[in-house]
Amino acid sequence: MAQPKNPAGSAESSGGMRIDPALVRELAELLTVNELTEIEVADGDRRIKVSREPAPVLGAIAPAAAASAAPALSAPPMHGKEDVGAPPEEIAGTTIKSPMVGTAFLSPEPGAPPFIEVGKPVKAGDTLLIVEAMKVMNPITAPEGGVVKKIIVADAQPIEFDQPLVIIG
Amino acid sequence: MQINKLLIANRGEIALRIHRACHEMGIKTVAVHSTADADAMHVRLADETVCIGPPPATESYLNIPNIISAAEIVHADAIHPGYGFLSENAQFAEIVESHNIIWVGPKPEHIRTMGDKIEAKRTAAKLGLPLVPGSDGPITSVAQAKKLAATIGYPVLIKAASGGGGRGMKVVEAEEQLESLMSQAASEARSAFGDDTVYMEKYLADPRHIEFQVFGDGEGAAIHLGERDCSLQRRHQKVLEEAPSPAISRVEREAMGERVRKAMAEMGYRGAGTIEFLYENGEFYFIEMNTRLQVEHPVTEMISDIDLVREQIRVACGEGLSCTQGEVRLHGHAMECRINAEDPETFAPSPGLVKNYVAPGGMHVRVDSGLYTGYRVPPYYDSMIGKLIVYGRDRDECIRRLKRALEEFVVEGMKTTIPLHQNLVRDPEFLAGDYTIKWLERWLARTAV
Repeated sequence: MAQPKNPAGSAESSGGMRIDPALVRELAELLTVNELTEIEVADGDRRIKVSREPAPVLGAIAPAAAASAAPALSAPPMHGKEDVGAPPEEIAGTTIKSPMVGTAFLSPEPGAPPFIEVGKPVKAGDTLLIVEAMKVMNPITAPEGGVVKKIIVADAQPIEFDQPLVIIG
Repeated sequence: MQINKLLIANRGEIALRIHRACHEMGIKTVAVHSTADADAMHVRLADETVCIGPPPATESYLNIPNIISAAEIVHADAIHPGYGFLSENAQFAEIVESHNIIWVGPKPEHIRTMGDKIEAKRTAAKLGLPLVPGSDGPITSVAQAKKLAATIGYPVLIKAASGGGGRGMKVVEAEEQLESLMSQAASEARSAFGDDTVYMEKYLADPRHIEFQVFGDGEGAAIHLGERDCSLQRRHQKVLEEAPSPAISRVEREAMGERVRKAMAEMGYRGAGTIEFLYENGEFYFIEMNTRLQVEHPVTEMISDIDLVREQIRVACGEGLSCTQGEVRLHGHAMECRINAEDPETFAPSPGLVKNYVAPGGMHVRVDSGLYTGYRVPPYYDSMIGKLIVYGRDRDECIRRLKRALEEFVVEGMKTTIPLHQNLVRDPEFLAGDYTIKWLERWLARTAV
């Protein structure tokens, strides 16, 4: 997807300064809007650097596509697709993948609390999120009980088949 | 209507072919692919990619909900179905159009009409195309079959209405075999297609397969781009195609070309289509119409200088045809070799890792293939891994160039049908253009060691 999302903000300071969340958020927004990968501002001793991975392209996140970068040695040069998107972190647990193409929704309706939260327990059969495809809401349920280790997708994010959604451990 | 982003609902070389036309037109591409095709060339080149399912085509390339969802999440304006898969699925075409997405293909009703063999013949006859003499509709009784066969003259062919690939098809040499072969054809058809409707037609002993490329704008304008000779087949699969046919005269081409052009204009046909004929003793017999782009379309592109995919997209956008019949100028000669990942003698599929790939080059040599060194040909799909297309000012020059190009072609790591083509283009009968739809199988039997 060309739509940049989830700019991974990382604040960096020269001293033990207090982080101004509003400023970081503003910089992150500037980053996204202008499709930059890094922004740095300095005000006296205070320096803040915000950076993000380039806009992930759908598919690039899929492990299969990422793996294909390896044998690409002798293959023709490609778009940056294979190089973008951080490889998924190694988190022990069961990864729930999308059974269909659609749009992920983390809560039952806009404004409502999300189905799950990181660190909270879930039972087998609990709804983790919804994947909307062709106006049909498809609940994605936990195959087993456990604790939510990571929610990999953002609310309203487009999802492809086999895309990792949630890790339960 | 303008297309900014086109979703390619296919894989392999044709997906790459469509991608190329799009990028030349300034259109962004979206590759939808199965998990088995994440490394495919067209997926790597596309502007955006969406994985739509696991390896089996029924769950990915034929998965309508996932393809439509993919088009929605990437905001694609248009879908090109390529050939095979959903390209002749009228319901899919309707779903695409009902989502306000441009369908790069014919009107759904025309796909439906031509997809039904009996309806297709009825329509072709109405449009003035010559048919193989036979039953106007399904055969319901043995008595009816006997009476009809007597008028047509044996041998006759019993065919399944929803058949294909030779299943549910029986040649009846004499009346005493009719009853048993008719019931065999019906039961084969029932088990293969869930429909035991059969019909009858005259059996042509040794015809050629000649097909005309047509294009319509959907508003009553139409053109033809001459014929292709696709007689070189093995088990109903085309192996090598050429245009023009060595058997068709200019007068025949112009006469039949004009008939198919008029038929398409009258029908209000939209987009690319192919009208297939059997040709024997100077007569054409309509067999079917394919309402899509053909695998062998590049031979027509070579002799007409018209990019057929570009033309399809133009028409889908409502821009009409890029030329009139009077402006079509066919010249020279072109041939296409289909390269399959198969043993060239046993035809056993040979998927696997491409250890080395060197495509031929030089003047008037074109290779449409998604192969590259390090690519793994997945075992789930068609075995065709590429097409070699060459052009020459005449048939002789074309063949000499084809021989040269086949010598250069290197695909290591798997067996391919390149050696088959190398032998084929040296055969005196092939060189003389003296072949029919049965010739290749006889030749294979003869040359087998």
